Amino acid sequence: MADDYAMMETDEDDEITQEDAWAVISAYFEEKGLVRQQLDSFDEFIQNTMQEIVDESADIEIRPESQHNPGRQSDFVETIYKISFGQIYLSRPMMTESDGETATLFPKAARLRNLTYSAPLYVDVTKRIIKKGHDCEEVAETQDFAKVFIGKVPIMLRSSYCTLYQNSEKDLTELGECPYDQGGYFIINGTEVRSMAENQNRPASSMFVRMLSRTSAKGGSSGQYIRATLPYIRADIPIIIIFRALGFVADKDILEHICYDFSDTQMMELLRPSLEEAFVIQNQQVALDYIGKRGATVGVTREKRIKYAKEILQKEMLPHVGVGEYCETKKAYYFGYIIHRLLLCAIGRRPEDDRDHYGNKRLDLAGPLLGGLFRMLFRKLTRDVRSYVQKCVDNGKDVNLQFAIKAKTITSGLKYSLATGNWGQANQAGTRAGVSQVLNRLTYASTLSHLRRLNSPIGREGKLAKPRQLHNSHWGMMCPAETPEGQACGLVKNLALMVYITVGSAAHPILEFLEEWSTENFEEISPAVIPQSTKIFVNGCWVGIHRNPDLLVKTLRQLRRQIDVNTEVGVIRDIRLKELRLYTDYGRCSRPLFIVEKQRLLIKKKDIRALQQRETPEEGWHDLVSKGFIEYIDTEEEETTMISMTINDLVNARQNPEEAYSETYTHCEIHPSLILGVCASIIPFPDHNQSPRNTYQSAMGKQAMGIYVTNYQLRMDTLAYVLYYPQKPLVTTRAMEHLHFRQLPAGINAIVAIACYSGYNQEDSVIMNQSSIDRGFFRSLFFRSYRDEEKKMGTLVKEDFGRPNRENTMGMRHGSYEKLDDDGLAPPGTRVSGEDVIIGKTSPIPQDDAQGQASRYTRRDHSTSLRHSESGMVDQVLLTTNADGLRFVKVRMRSVRIPQIGDKFSSRHGQKGTVGMTYTQEDMPWTVEGITPDIIVNPHAIPSRMTIGQLIECIMGKVAAHMGKEGDATPFTDVTVDNISKALHKCGYQMRGFETMYNGHTGRKLTAMIFLGPTYYQRLKHMVDDKIHSRGRGPVQILTRQPAEGRSRDGGLRFGEMERDCMIAHGAAHFLKERLFDQSDAYRVHVCEKCGLIAIANLKKNSFECRGCKNKTDIVQVHIPYACRARPPPLRTQTSIYEASIQKLFAVTQIVCT
Amino acid sequence: MSSKVSALDMPDVPMGQLPEHLHLQRTRVVCKADAPVHTEGIQYSGAYASIGVDNSVGVDSFCKSFKVKVVRLTKEEIEFDMIGIDASLANAFRRILIAEVPTMAIEKVLMVNNTSVVADEVLAHRLGLIPLNADPRLFEYLSENDAPNERNTIVYKLDVSCKKGSPRVTVKSDQLKWLPHGSELQMDSHDISSKAKSYTSFSCIQDSLPEFSKKPLGVKFDDIIIAKLGPGQAIELEAHAVKGIGKMHAKWSPVATAWYRMLPEIALLKEVTGADAEKLVKKCPVNVFDIEDIGNAGGKKAVVANPRTCTLCRECIRGVNEELVELRRVKDHFIFTIESTGALSPEELFIEAVKILEDKCDRVISELS
Repeated sequence: MADDYAMMETDEDDEITQEDAWAVISAYFEEKGLVRQQLDSFDEFIQNTMQEIVDESADIEIRPESQHNPGRQSDFVETIYKISFGQIYLSRPMMTESDGETATLFPKAARLRNLTYSAPLYVDVTKRIIKKGHDCEEVAETQDFAKVFIGKVPIMLRSSYCTLYQNSEKDLTELGECPYDQGGYFIINGTEVRSMAENQNRPASSMFVRMLSRTSAKGGSSGQYIRATLPYIRADIPIIIIFRALGFVADKDILEHICYDFSDTQMMELLRPSLEEAFVIQNQQVALDYIGKRGATVGVTREKRIKYAKEILQKEMLPHVGVGEYCETKKAYYFGYIIHRLLLCAIGRRPEDDRDHYGNKRLDLAGPLLGGLFRMLFRKLTRDVRSYVQKCVDNGKDVNLQFAIKAKTITSGLKYSLATGNWGQANQAGTRAGVSQVLNRLTYASTLSHLRRLNSPIGREGKLAKPRQLHNSHWGMMCPAETPEGQACGLVKNLALMVYITVGSAAHPILEFLEEWSTENFEEISPAVIPQSTKIFVNGCWVGIHRNPDLLVKTLRQLRRQIDVNTEVGVIRDIRLKELRLYTDYGRCSRPLFIVEKQRLLIKKKDIRALQQRETPEEGWHDLVSKGFIEYIDTEEEETTMISMTINDLVNARQNPEEAYSETYTHCEIHPSLILGVCASIIPFPDHNQSPRNTYQSAMGKQAMGIYVTNYQLRMDTLAYVLYYPQKPLVTTRAMEHLHFRQLPAGINAIVAIACYSGYNQEDSVIMNQSSIDRGFFRSLFFRSYRDEEKKMGTLVKEDFGRPNRENTMGMRHGSYEKLDDDGLAPPGTRVSGEDVIIGKTSPIPQDDAQGQASRYTRRDHSTSLRHSESGMVDQVLLTTNADGLRFVKVRMRSVRIPQIGDKFSSRHGQKGTVGMTYTQEDMPWTVEGITPDIIVNPHAIPSRMTIGQLIECIMGKVAAHMGKEGDATPFTDVTVDNISKALHKCGYQMRGFETMYNGHTGRKLTAMIFLGPTYYQRLKHMVDDKIHSRGRGPVQILTRQPAEGRSRDGGLRFGEMERDCMIAHGAAHFLKERLFDQSDAYRVHVCEKCGLIAIANLKKNSFECRGCKNKTDIVQVHIPYACRARPPPLRTQTSIYEASIQKLFAVTQIVCT
Repeated sequence: MSSKVSALDMPDVPMGQLPEHLHLQRTRVVCKADAPVHTEGIQYSGAYASIGVDNSVGVDSFCKSFKVKVVRLTKEEIEFDMIGIDASLANAFRRILIAEVPTMAIEKVLMVNNTSVVADEVLAHRLGLIPLNADPRLFEYLSENDAPNERNTIVYKLDVSCKKGSPRVTVKSDQLKWLPHGSELQMDSHDISSKAKSYTSFSCIQDSLPEFSKKPLGVKFDDIIIAKLGPGQAIELEAHAVKGIGKMHAKWSPVATAWYRMLPEIALLKEVTGADAEKLVKKCPVNVFDIEDIGNAGGKKAVVANPRTCTLCRECIRGVNEELVELRRVKDHFIFTIESTGALSPEELFIEAVKILEDKCDRVISELS
């Protein structure tokens, strides 16, 4: 039978292969790139949300406070000013120079000149003055102000409002941009900033319904009451009272809304205690009063209380169901449904909802985050406008809207939050910190990964392990490997490669559709029919019921596949609960899947062929979706699907259905390796590694050096590492193509031997071939930029770049000023080191003639010198002006970092190590072909860590090098070690990659076979030269005179508590005193023995005096730590404590002396 | 060896001759499936004194037995067999070849202008690695206090640019031009009165010297890419090459690599015939074994045809075959390969290496006496 089928199939209708799936994946990435979520979200904000926010703000209506003007009768009884905001307009990113010239701003200029990449926002404003005469006639005067500037909005790079939008690669290069850069971040004051995606449970409703276990022991018959917390109501209200307050008084009525089936005695029984509890309240007014009494209002009349309660029920309870009037029926049904679900759970028919299920989470990306901020700032703006206009009107002045609208509110508000990461207004409660971060530019992969990172705001201290764990619903949405270690483990997540985050769409098309397809709403139905029909929810709100859900769901899905309904709408049919849930909201995770019907993919070979031969590369994916081959499935809908892992599973299911896992596949994975994120996709054979190793590599891949962007020469990043000769890996994964890892690699294919060889590679260190290093192996460039600007001090005085002159300049640095040119800057090509000054800047000192002696100093030095531990060449100098038109300079220093003992390297399998020894070529072991390894790692690094992937990578690398091809190490494919081994043997090698080697020192054969082959290694940014530190003597802190802290300040090495404990235990008292006192902040003072205060001592004249006691004789010299003398100021006033402590000190000293 | 034989039943070994197993141990490395054994050399002269065998090495015997056979010789590469020498000596030659035979290489680069994307340091490093066509024997080392002169320094100049509007230019090593006059750049001097000094102090023009007049001091390969220039970019620099050895920096190493391997010897312990023979032949990817007909019955026998090609993949001794085949290496027969980088021909290199070793020995002798 199956054979017959095969015969009938023409080539055109052939099932596609897994290889063809990669054509589909390529189409996806070509159209979407890797940061689509950010761009989509921002575009949605710019194109819709912003206008919505402006529209939703009510008109500003101002009535002048009646002011008595004696002798003058106004012509009108009342004048009303109305200001309303209309259409908004957003320009392209612009920059206004200090001289008033305005020009389009390009990201390159913004980055270099520390500007903000933002576009001006304009809005149409209408001002109406309505004057009411004595005879109630109205005179309206309307004035339109078109396009009033209200602020600047930072623009996300590569979004539809960015100047780079849809530029070709060539244009981008000419604009000084990296064509591989994906955008998705902002430029604020020259720094690239990304907004973190926040991940949270659905907006927490302020209503809770709870059923507590047996209330109290003495309650006896009481049972379990069900009560609800309402917003603004202090106490929990029994649910029945809420129903009565909503207007459903009869028990039967209420029960109908909760327990649709009266024959369900179990559930009815559970409701009995609640009914009995509310027995005393038997009508709506009493119920409302009951609620009102527990509200915030005290001491008001019953009517007011009832009104108050009514308002609460209308406006605050379940606001998503409705806030208008006559929503009671809807609310009652919904409220009843809540209780119904609660009871189902209480009976045990349903398990509790899973808090960690990703279907219950929503991601806030740049769009919604900025939306919230913009809403707040716009409100502030309107509030300011109101108060300004009010003031004008009250004073009888003319209203000037240009002055009323303060553009700075929005401009600096948005900038502040994006620059600092404090989401919300400065110094206000309720701000979240760390929402935006400086974009990581260490490696291209780290940048990509950073743009796809999520943060869960739940407390990091929380002991709860559950939210940190990998959940089933993360499959395909979140990378299972890429997460930091330590405090944020599992809370910071990274998106998997093919995730699409919904941007949200309007619900009304869905509602209309439901209406059309005979959904019955609550007015039409009786509760009795509910159990037989399916409840329909749209965005969590119950809108009605339907009697033929099969057909409805089918048509909905059909329409979605034809993109008549938005593709991102989630359709979840819960058969057991008899529910149909539809979602159109933003922030849901979804991912594309092949659609399967009758155990067969809808996409066919011919479609793949058409895809591969298409002319416009951007359209491919969209076509696949619109033709209904692929659809987006969100996390919640995923639970109602049956997804086959591979295309082969489907073939097998057709051929022998008895053995198939499922007979009803609905979808098929595009490729299982797409569950990984950016960093994990770089790992070859991750499916052969122990899982933590993949996590470690995901963290380390971000520290690897390579080429982080192609335009690095044109940028002035504060810190940058570039590898001399990066190589694309011999062993690759398919996903790398889309991550541009071949174009912007971060590593070298090193010949790695796994051997002990002299023992200089113990404990995760490696032996490196010095001759390879000489030939350029892992050499890298290091760039550091210093910046400075001529600040304005006051109105007239300004700092100046220039070479400071020792004759007239105060406070000059230790370093050499020789390297500065006349303009005060070190020219490119200057060798600089140590504390050499590279930017000379001085400010004038105001000459105070009153003091008499004219100081020889007229200027003060503000120069910038190189970090004392670094040296290099001046690579580039940029002199420009900043936003305020002040001179602004950036100087980039370049130095070469040659691998040396102590530098850190790692393979792509979480196997990091430092160089323990470098051997020249002649000392290295060699094979029969004369090959010497570049790196020798210790075999002990392998067994306990189980990084089999590295071994397979090595032998595959060997094969790849011999065949001149790339090896495919994509996870979850059919590549086996045996296949690779056979290929290797064909090349004339030992099957498993072993080689006999000769010892370079002795020249004899090694008595072991050595596993050797090319393995991709990464150079990590941690290098000894940046860490080496020691100090004999050096700077001290001013306050305590103790040695300074940290390498950058040439600080001391702390002799800490634990070291102190050791010395105490050892009994080395003198040594201890020397460490803690003599070598720290030893100090000597003279103290009056009478009062204990510090006395005046003149050691030259040998005279001592305590003025207070008139004491010149009883004065002693004490040695105390300076920190003890220099006490914090508040203590200094408390003489008694001071004295006491000094006296205690005496006691101690005396004891020590005797 | 598996069946135990009583010591009394052991066959007599003639005096002055080693028993077979000891002989094997002394002269062969045996490569077992997991690792090679008997890799050590037995140096002690009296190691077999109890059996009456003299293990000492004498100059005469060495001279008699030592042989060198050249297998392959091209301009860049030599492969020769060195027979009858201990690994320690062969290794000394190898190490000297890599690290101690001097060559000329660019050591100092004076950058006049570099607007290319390649950073100065990277460019200088690349230049250093370019093999020069200069015989190091004609030069002296430039010590710290020496001034660079025609005897110790070669000066090259690179002056390339890419015009605006023209396509990208690839700068190759042939654009490095030899300056026989020495440096053209003037040192910065603070007092104007003194004559401007150049960076080298050549007393004569290098190509007037007889040894250089015929053979200009160019680069060995003229297609090595140094840098690529975009429109409007230019490189102008002067490079000074000096003599040095590979120990200091790999750029002075005269060889890409030099190495040896021991002569493979493959022994069939039992006769392998029929299907087994075919299987054995198939197992080897480098065709060490061949099939030979035996008799006229059409019987087949495996023989060892090209043992030299054996890469020691040990596929032939895996599993059942361990009893049949033994992979050995002759301890005093080295297949030596030298890959020259160009300054000297590979055969000259070896002679240089021998001279250096000789020098070293002389030094030891003179120090001791």
